[in-house]
Amino acid sequence: MKTIEIGTARSTAPGTTKGFLKVGDLPDGQPIRIPVVIVRGETDGPVAWMHGCVHGNEYCGTFIIHDLLRSLDPKTLKGTVVALPILNITAFETKQRMSPFEGYNGGDLNRCFPGQANGPLTQQMAHAIYQPLKQYADVLLDFHTAQTSDVAWALYADLPGDVGARGRAIAKAFGYRSTLPAPGDILGGSAMMTAAKDGIPAFIVEAGGKGPAFTDEIVADATERLRNVLRHLGMLEGAVTDYGAQWHFSNFAWVHSTQGGLFQRSVACGDRVEAGQSIGQYYDLHGLPSGEARAPESGIVLAIHPGPVMSTGETLIHIGLNPREVHA
Amino acid sequence: MENITIGSAVSTGPGRTDGMLQVGWLPDGYPMEIPVIIQRAAQPGPTVWIHGCVHGNEYCGTFIIHKFLREMKLDRGTVIALPVLNITGFQKQQRMSPFEGYNGGDMNRCFPGNPGGSLTEQMAFSVFEHLKKHATHFIDFHTAFTADTRWALFCPPDGKAGEAAEGMARAFGYRDTLPTPMTILGGSALIEAAKLGIPGLIVEAGGIGPAFRPETVAEAVDRLNNVLRQIGLVDGAVEKHEDITFFSNFAWINARRGGLFRPAVRCGVTIKEGDIVGRYYDVHGDLVEEARAPFSGVVLAVGAGPLMPNGEILVHVGLDPRAA
Repeated sequence: MKTIEIGTARSTAPGTTKGFLKVGDLPDGQPIRIPVVIVRGETDGPVAWMHGCVHGNEYCGTFIIHDLLRSLDPKTLKGTVVALPILNITAFETKQRMSPFEGYNGGDLNRCFPGQANGPLTQQMAHAIYQPLKQYADVLLDFHTAQTSDVAWALYADLPGDVGARGRAIAKAFGYRSTLPAPGDILGGSAMMTAAKDGIPAFIVEAGGKGPAFTDEIVADATERLRNVLRHLGMLEGAVTDYGAQWHFSNFAWVHSTQGGLFQRSVACGDRVEAGQSIGQYYDLHGLPSGEARAPESGIVLAIHPGPVMSTGETLIHIGLNPREVHA
Repeated sequence: MENITIGSAVSTGPGRTDGMLQVGWLPDGYPMEIPVIIQRAAQPGPTVWIHGCVHGNEYCGTFIIHKFLREMKLDRGTVIALPVLNITGFQKQQRMSPFEGYNGGDMNRCFPGNPGGSLTEQMAFSVFEHLKKHATHFIDFHTAFTADTRWALFCPPDGKAGEAAEGMARAFGYRDTLPTPMTILGGSALIEAAKLGIPGLIVEAGGIGPAFRPETVAEAVDRLNNVLRQIGLVDGAVEKHEDITFFSNFAWINARRGGLFRPAVRCGVTIKEGDIVGRYYDVHGDLVEEARAPFSGVVLAVGAGPLMPNGEILVHVGLDPRAA
């Protein structure tokens, strides 16, 4: 069996191996280390690479990956699960999206892949992670959240040929209704698009909201869907569940707020909205209505600001455009 | 009718008056101002002082006060509302002011305040001077961590003001209620007002940040209106709530270890010493420890997770529950 070595996690035989990958140094010289778990089945098969908390406060993904890992048995697994449940560990600790030690480029790790060995901190982190990803992964499954606990949608890199077709089949097996076949000209620097361009089918799950905005039920449901992806890939035994028809979007609209204030949304994720429709209400400090937020485009709500307070420029709403029902 | 002046809010007669009260200065020299709403009826009566967001990220209280003000019909007396006390904490979505450098900045330990003290003490002073001058009754809205939080405290626990305070708590009517001993929570607005003979109520409704529901806000507004009927500002029969539970005190349990954390209990459930209240996991996803209740009682608040730094509040237990 070929050795898989990621940081201190060195897997040479069936079973579970745990370790840490160093992705940088802290200002006090201590290493920035992220957890790695490698579960190898007794039977050969694909290597499914999964990671979470690319954005530090998107904890739901970490809990989904952890839940899956606790359920895996090397005796029944075909192939290998490589899991890095917490990529942006310093942001994870400080409950924020980006590393508190990133001073230069904004630090969105999901715009930094494939990374640079001598770039700013987040670029170096991306480089340290992407090297083994590129070396070992047959598919990439990347777990994110949006803002509110009712978030449930997915994207795959819709590149021409086999990579896009295999991504689409993974999205079908995961089965969230709202799914974006992401065109190759968006989300540059994301792990998904970077891996797909290197020939690795890649898929992003957006499940739950940031911080504590998710439930154990959301984690359990997403973990079962993740198991269904592994069944589809032939890595777990059992029939593949058909979650039914999906909406495929042509693209998404990511809309920033141009007004600040106290905010209460009036639509939920998955709702259909028409351009111009009210999606939430702003109030001033005295509690008086100070404006209505309206949908700038028609489509399906993928994410919406949770309130209760919003400054200008925050993500107000994220809309999936031109939903098209797809049955197979 | 005597004028009531709180910052730029100058109320000279019946109706609603809005303004801002300066509570300090920002580092750039801009004034740090908080919103004030004064609502007066034509008929004289008690003055109820209502405030929220003493802790900057406890937004549910602000939304309760705002909705209440938008809908209220006052038959007599005055409502003075300051829905956002710790405005810079509110803006930064954190408990304490980001400009407080010295004493930790828990504003609800800084009353009655100090005009020559740290930022938060100066803020508390600016607020409390007006509270002391005008309030005959006091209501303070807080949250805990999770959306299912619902309990209340009243003070003083006995005497004539205590009777009024208990009446307010019963009219608000959350099942879990603490008659607050004067020996705890020193520096809170509740205790400092009680020392001056002002009966007070703290409502703990919903969780920090966005962790609250519109239903929680609407229900708390109904209960607040019931308190106003009890005090006599609004006409109508006071609705009776059933099954009030009083506690002798509470125990605030800090986490003795850190890690990824999932709570295993909900607010309002009865727990016994030794019961599992949550589970710690390590970064690889392995269960590393079960957190257990060190006391029996009723869960008033529980750490939401998903992370639990060492020393954070793990669980908040109401002790010795008794039907009241």
